[in-house]
Amino acid sequence: MNKDHEPRIVAFLCKWCSSAGSDMAGVSRLEYPPNVIPITVMCSGSVSPIYILSAFNLGADGVLVSGCHPGDCHYIKGNMYARRRMAFLKELLPYLGLEPERFQMSWVSAAEGVKFTQIIKDFVAQLKPLGPQTYLRRSL
Amino acid sequence: MVKISDVRQEAKRLLEKGKVRGVVGYVPGTRGGWAIPYLIQEAERAEQLVWDPTCVHNLALFVVEEKKEQAKQKEPDKRPLAVMVKGCDSRAINVLLQEKFINREEVVLLGVSCENSGVVDRRKITHLLHGQQAGEIRFGDNGNIVVVVNGERRIFDPQEVLADRCLECQYNFPVVFDYFYGEKIKKTPPAPYAQVEKLESFSLEKRRQFWEEEMARCLRCYACRSVCPMCYCAECVVDPISFAVEPTTTAEEKAKKIKWIEKSPLLSENFVYHLVRAIHLAGRCVDCGECERVCPEGISIRLLNKKLEREALRLFNYVAGTDSQAPSLLSTFQETDPEDFIW
Repeated sequence: MNKDHEPRIVAFLCKWCSSAGSDMAGVSRLEYPPNVIPITVMCSGSVSPIYILSAFNLGADGVLVSGCHPGDCHYIKGNMYARRRMAFLKELLPYLGLEPERFQMSWVSAAEGVKFTQIIKDFVAQLKPLGPQTYLRRSL
Repeated sequence: MVKISDVRQEAKRLLEKGKVRGVVGYVPGTRGGWAIPYLIQEAERAEQLVWDPTCVHNLALFVVEEKKEQAKQKEPDKRPLAVMVKGCDSRAINVLLQEKFINREEVVLLGVSCENSGVVDRRKITHLLHGQQAGEIRFGDNGNIVVVVNGERRIFDPQEVLADRCLECQYNFPVVFDYFYGEKIKKTPPAPYAQVEKLESFSLEKRRQFWEEEMARCLRCYACRSVCPMCYCAECVVDPISFAVEPTTTAEEKAKKIKWIEKSPLLSENFVYHLVRAIHLAGRCVDCGECERVCPEGISIRLLNKKLEREALRLFNYVAGTDSQAPSLLSTFQETDPEDFIW
């Protein structure tokens, strides 16, 4: 397996916390790996599992879903719904033989720029030894 | 034992009095004594109703289909529809009630008990009879199944001939009904999730190999979706062909429809299709096993649904279709939901 492979991560960040958190990392000039493609969504509760599966299908090596901490959701309870939904996906993907490290979920608040950079660093470090994700990737 | 004459009598009475617009039940099929689902609208035909181990179909599907059909009518028939339901069918009805797809007044449920048995698996019977036609299949004593072949009476152990889903079933009598026939015998299967646990015990590599072999066979005929009473969406998100195109649909609107996956049955697309379907059935699937029965390629679709059924039980202590008043699994949450997987 190609150890030099640079993993591509698709990150679904909620507009109110995690996206602001990544912004915080930016304005604080914190360095983190450039492997992540951020997609801002209105709420982590709006992330349908098909977004994640589609990301894998189109060639993502890892997918991160990030939302507000429980109780901090801008829409009161969107992240709580996301937590249930993602728990199922987290169980289902390894059951079908996809490495469990490839899909992660995190809570990042608007102030946690440092936590955000740490998550990306850890995620990239976990994905590197796995090599490219070809299992769900479309081969057209 | 279910006295079928009682069911027939009730169905006849309901039809004669015009209380229902039809009775969905099982009638003898044309081939080898296998029952077929049938919508009875004339009182005299109620005599044809049967209840035996070949009544494999989930009749909740016909409630969904009829509801869609009536919605198209200019003057819909407002009378309820009577349906024969076994344990799994009644749970499917419960999920439909829970999701407010139907109202309780729209159906009259003729509940029949599977007694201490269940329905048979056609593949298993064909295998055991070496391709011979079964003349008649009926319930025997102690959950045994009696099969008549060429006039000869043979008795099979339920373990040999029952469908896998019935061997793993814990709801062998209806949970919601208006009329009930038969006895409520609570049975506890030895290990309802044995197959899921077996697959989980494999290594990641072996699981991947197993699913690749399964998914590579999928033709994407969508039989599993068509037969599923829970797959009632008019437009299926993973099937671009099902998008409703009307004369007024503009080119721009057509272009805006997101095509999540390709139509061609590639391995990767099959994976996404089945994963999405499994996720959409999480906390809704009642394990009636129809998807696996109709699959022309014999893909173990139930293994996917069963896994999520077990996770719903393990993580959220939730069993689909047992309570029509409770909120559905994914439209509610608890403060104490597990979150140890979240960074």
